[in-house]
Amino acid sequence: MKGPLYHLYVIMKKDLTEFYRVRARLVSMILLPILLMLLFGYMFPSNGTITHIPIAIVNQDQSTGAINVINSFIYTAESSGTFNVITYSSLSQAEQALLEGKVYAVVIFRQGFGQELSTGSATVQVIVDQMNPTLDQIVTAGIQQIFSQLNVQLSIAHGFPASSFGTILVNFQGLIPGALSSFEFLAPGFIAMSVVMGGLAGLAMAFSRERELGTMDGILMTPVSRFSIVMGKAMAQAIRGIISGIIIVILSILLFGVKIYGNVFLMAIILLLGILAFTGLGIIATSFVSDQESAQMIMLMLEMPMIFISGIFYPVLQLPWWLRDIAYMFPLVYTVTGFRSVMVMNAPLSAVWNDVLVLLIYSIVTFAIAIPLFQRMVTK
Amino acid sequence: MSYAVEAENLTKYFGNLIAVDSVSFKVKKGEIFGLVGPNGAGKSTLIRMICTVLRPSAGKALVEGYDIIRQPQEVRKLIGVVQEKLILYAPLTPVENLEFFGKLYGLDSKVLKERIAELLEEVKLSAVKDKPVGTFSTGMRQRLNIARALLHDPKLVILDEPTNGLDPQSVRWVRDYIVNLKNRGLTVILTSHDMYEIDELADTVAIMDKGKILEIGKKEDLKRKYGATKIEDVFLELTGRDLRDEISGRLRRRGW
Repeated sequence: MKGPLYHLYVIMKKDLTEFYRVRARLVSMILLPILLMLLFGYMFPSNGTITHIPIAIVNQDQSTGAINVINSFIYTAESSGTFNVITYSSLSQAEQALLEGKVYAVVIFRQGFGQELSTGSATVQVIVDQMNPTLDQIVTAGIQQIFSQLNVQLSIAHGFPASSFGTILVNFQGLIPGALSSFEFLAPGFIAMSVVMGGLAGLAMAFSRERELGTMDGILMTPVSRFSIVMGKAMAQAIRGIISGIIIVILSILLFGVKIYGNVFLMAIILLLGILAFTGLGIIATSFVSDQESAQMIMLMLEMPMIFISGIFYPVLQLPWWLRDIAYMFPLVYTVTGFRSVMVMNAPLSAVWNDVLVLLIYSIVTFAIAIPLFQRMVTK
Repeated sequence: MSYAVEAENLTKYFGNLIAVDSVSFKVKKGEIFGLVGPNGAGKSTLIRMICTVLRPSAGKALVEGYDIIRQPQEVRKLIGVVQEKLILYAPLTPVENLEFFGKLYGLDSKVLKERIAELLEEVKLSAVKDKPVGTFSTGMRQRLNIARALLHDPKLVILDEPTNGLDPQSVRWVRDYIVNLKNRGLTVILTSHDMYEIDELADTVAIMDKGKILEIGKKEDLKRKYGATKIEDVFLELTGRDLRDEISGRLRRRGW
C-alpha cells in the first residue's frame, strides 16, 4: 500500500493543495482563457491562400448526364488548384472521412440527378465541414463557383439561358444540424489551448520552483522513487488542467452560448492525454535548467509557436507544408483536432482514434525519456 | 560498527570544477561533528552527497554501514537533513508540511499524527500548527524545518548552517536543541560560519577549503596543535589566507 503509487498520490495531493492555496494563480488560470476567448470570439483569422483542399464526391447516380457533370466538376475543381477531389462509393464512408478531417466537404450527386437535369433543374447536396469558419467560407465559395461555371457551360451546350433549363442548384448543409456561430468552432480550440498552456506553466513551476527553493532536495531525501515524483507532479498538473477545463467549458456555455454536441467523457480523455503529452515534453525541456525563470522561458518558446500552428486560430491546411509538418510533430494539434471533433461534431471514438493514439504514444514515450532524465539531472 | 559516517576519497566534479576533492573522514556515533570552511569550500556539496541527493564522481561513503550509492533508500531512512535552504512549503500549514514528508518516509498515518503533535510541541509551534508557513518568522520556520528533519526518527542529523540569519533567541534555541539531540544519542554533523558555535557544540572538527579537508581532529587536540585558545584561530590559520593577505597588503599600501 505504501508503494510508488501511494507516494505518487501524496506528491500529487501536495502540489494540488499548494496550488489551491494561492488564489491568484487559480484565478489567473481561468481568467486568461476567458479574456482570450472574448477577444477571439469577435475576430476572424485572415484569409490566406489555401489550395488543394481535399473534398469528397459521392455519386449515387450512374446516368450519363450525371457522370458528365461529375467529370466536368472534377476537372474544374482540380485544374483551378483549389481542391483535390476524392471519390467515395458510399455516403457513410465520405461522412466518416469528413468527421476525421480527411476531407472538408462532401458533394453528393443523388440517385436521379441526371434525370432531373435533363428535364429541368437538379440539386446537388453539399455537406461542409464547418470546423473552421475561414475554411468553411473558402470551401463553400469555391464549390459554388465551380457549379456556376458548370451551369454556364451547360447553358451554352443547350443553347438556353442558364436559369431556365438544365440548371444545377447547390444545397449547402452543415455537418451539424442547426445554426452554429463561428465562435463555437473556435471555442474548443481555446479550451484545449488554455488547459494545455496552464499545464505547461504549472509544470515549470512544479519542478523548477522546487529545485530553486530547495524543497526538491527534501523530497529526494525521502525514500521515494523518482517515478513517483515525476508522475505525481505530472498527475497534479493533469488534474488541475481537467478542473480548469471543466470551469472554462461551463463559463463558455454560460457566457457565450457554446454547446457541447459530443461525449463529455471522451473530451476529458483527449484533454487528459494532451496534458500528459505536454507534461512529458515539458519535463524533458526543463530538465536542462535549474531555475524557474529559464524553465518558463523554455516553456514559452515551446508554447507560442505551437499555438499558432496547431489549428486553433486557422486551419493547419493554411500553413506551408513544412510548417504543417512541424505542427504535426507536437501534441497540441492532435489535442485540438480531437477535442474539437468530439465537442462540436459529436465524433465517436472511432473518428478521433488517430488523435487519441498519437497522444497516448506521445505521453508514454516522453515519460519514458523524462523519468530517467529527471533522475540524471537532479543528481548530477 | 562505531561510525555513523565513513567517507573514502569522496570526489565531486561539476564540469571541470572540482568541488570536493578526494575527501576522507569518519564521524563517530553519538558525537557532534563540526564541518567548517569558507564559502565555496565544498561543505554543502559534501553534505548533499552524503544525503544521497548528489551522486559522487568518485569515492564512496557509508552511512550507518549503508552505501550511499548502492543503498540510497536505506541511507535516506537514517538521515535527517536541515539544509541552508528551508525544506518547507509556504502555502501549507506545519501539519500539512510534516504530513507530506512523513508520508513520503512511509510513516503509518496514526504514528505520524502522534509524531507530528509531539514534534510541534517540542519546537514550540503547536499554537500555530494550522497557519500557513508563509506567515511565520524565520526563527519559527527554522524550528519547523528541524522538526521536519526529525520526523522519521533518523540516527544521523545533518545541519547545514542551521543558525544562519536567526535572531539571538532562535540561535540559542537551536544550539540547545542540538545538544539535546546529542544527549538523546543521535549523531550530528553541523556546519557553521560561526566559530563560537562550533567551539561550543562540536566534539570533532573538520576544516575544509577548496574541496579538501585540511585538518580534522578532536576540538581540543586541534587547539593544542596550533597553540590556539579558540577554533576560530585554528580556522583562520588554515583557510582563506589569500583574502587576508590581500587585505593586509592593501592596508599596508595605504599606510596602515
